[in-house]
Amino acid sequence: MGETFLLQAALGLYGVAVASALVTLMSVRGTSLAPIHAGMALAGAIALHTLAIALRWRTLGHGPFTTMYESLSSNLWSLALVFALAAWGLREVRAALWAAAPVLLLLALWLLLADARPGHLPPTYDTPLLYLHTLVGKLFLGLLLVAVALGAVPVLRQTTWGAQRTAAWPDERRFDELAHRFAAFAFVFETLMLIVGAVWAQDAWGRYWDWDPLESWAFVTWIALAATLHARATFRPAPATHGLWLAGVFAIAFLTFFGVPFISVAPHKGAV
Amino acid sequence: MSYRLTAHFGSLRTTLALLALLAVVVMATPSFTPLTVALGLLAVNLVAALFVHPLLRRQLPLLVFHLALLALLVLVGVGRLASLDGRFELTQGVPFDGRLLDKDAGPLYDAGLHRLSFAHHGFEIDYAPGRQRGATRNRVSWQGDNGSARSAVIGDHRPLVIDGHRIYTSPNKGFAPLLRWLPTRGEPVLGAVHLPSFPVHELRQSREWPLPDGREAWVMLQFDETLIDPDKTTSFRLPEAHHLIVRIGELRATLAPGERLALDGGTLVYEGLRTWMGYRVTYDPTLPWLLAASLLAALSLAWHYARKFYFSEPATRPSQSAVGVVHG
Repeated sequence: MGETFLLQAALGLYGVAVASALVTLMSVRGTSLAPIHAGMALAGAIALHTLAIALRWRTLGHGPFTTMYESLSSNLWSLALVFALAAWGLREVRAALWAAAPVLLLLALWLLLADARPGHLPPTYDTPLLYLHTLVGKLFLGLLLVAVALGAVPVLRQTTWGAQRTAAWPDERRFDELAHRFAAFAFVFETLMLIVGAVWAQDAWGRYWDWDPLESWAFVTWIALAATLHARATFRPAPATHGLWLAGVFAIAFLTFFGVPFISVAPHKGAV
Repeated sequence: MSYRLTAHFGSLRTTLALLALLAVVVMATPSFTPLTVALGLLAVNLVAALFVHPLLRRQLPLLVFHLALLALLVLVGVGRLASLDGRFELTQGVPFDGRLLDKDAGPLYDAGLHRLSFAHHGFEIDYAPGRQRGATRNRVSWQGDNGSARSAVIGDHRPLVIDGHRIYTSPNKGFAPLLRWLPTRGEPVLGAVHLPSFPVHELRQSREWPLPDGREAWVMLQFDETLIDPDKTTSFRLPEAHHLIVRIGELRATLAPGERLALDGGTLVYEGLRTWMGYRVTYDPTLPWLLAASLLAALSLAWHYARKFYFSEPATRPSQSAVGVVHG
């Protein structure tokens, strides 16, 4: 089986998972917290996607680090994996899959349109720091997505329709507290991502920080998340308000990951 | 008045306002002065918070995190005062003499570049199809602290580290014809012409070189080979056959390696073709401390949240003043 077939099958299963979560949310009053079909489809999608990435890795001799196609593919995979692992352990996360759906769908559709031709692996990528930087970065974005999804439940409950659909779910303070926890650990991993990136930049370019567009956006994302954590302690916002703040932080992080590296000029592009 | 100021400084509301200011500065104009003002205000606010809010001092991991952030700011400031960032070019086989083409040095940097005498002995650079630059392997040698001969291969993210200075190769490199001027009277002079970077400026491999008597010699490297074929995997190398076109005033000559050109007042000898490499040299004595402080910040933050979410005792509802300083 080729990489393309495996990837397309994975994307199909991602679609099934998302559709299943949405149908469950929309069709059943007092819906179950555990949409089994969605979970199974998500697990299958991740398994096929893992094989597709591994096959491409073996063929090209390097990981998915160089092009927009590879960045989209690896981040879709890591976001889905982090979400699935969190959902495995927490029923509240399982219930919030519908809220992560727009992000997963956007990445999947974007991936279908992206140029799949291989890119050039820059010499500065020949370092273990690449894997460490990527790992903590993906954990940061994955944990933040889980936080956003959990924070979206209180937002949904602001509508009559949403309140009816989620009436059987735990109290919104539970979702808010969990969202806060995931955001807090996302902050830890984002801090580590900046540190590892700075060490790498020092070795690759002779400076640890230079305020190039990607560094600036990454730092602003860090500030935004720090501010959200501070603001929650300061203002004690309603869970829905906190959920919207987290969505705002995720929007900045999303732009940092998928916008800035591919529109900015040298030296800190997606492929250095 | 001072009470009112204290009431504002150190509060989480002020922290939020200053974080917003910092974000605006980073996006709008991340230059030295605005960043210093924004970060300085945040530092003052944090110091005030440490005095004003006892709860912040009682939570050890949170205290360590914020102290590590303060240490980072101090270290970055010290680093800027004591650091060096410079560039130079070096001809193959010629030791570095400490002279830089340009530099940005802090007032506390104690110039010690003369101690960095090293020589480069050629390099290999891989190119993928499309002339995409791959790994750089630059052979260098220098004298160790005990006078012993040392050598290494540096390149990309493997700098040469001597006396705390980190010397990096750069994408800037090219060919260097060696010319010797033998004056009728006086001492011979050996010089290298660093032609424009190759292959970026492949089509203009020429440059002027001043003779010691003030005349300008224009030299151009000429060869017929395609050294870096854009359709193949290849590597940087010297041309197998080449010659040097020399023009001095109305005189024009073509020289092969070893050939001479007789001129008024002396003889110009083309010794042969070498390479040159552009280097970046940086010095920042705070680097290991910066790494330690930043790792301490991250680990203490993880410690704080782990303790808060998983290892804390069931708490009674905190008072509003306490809530105000409990971090996220």
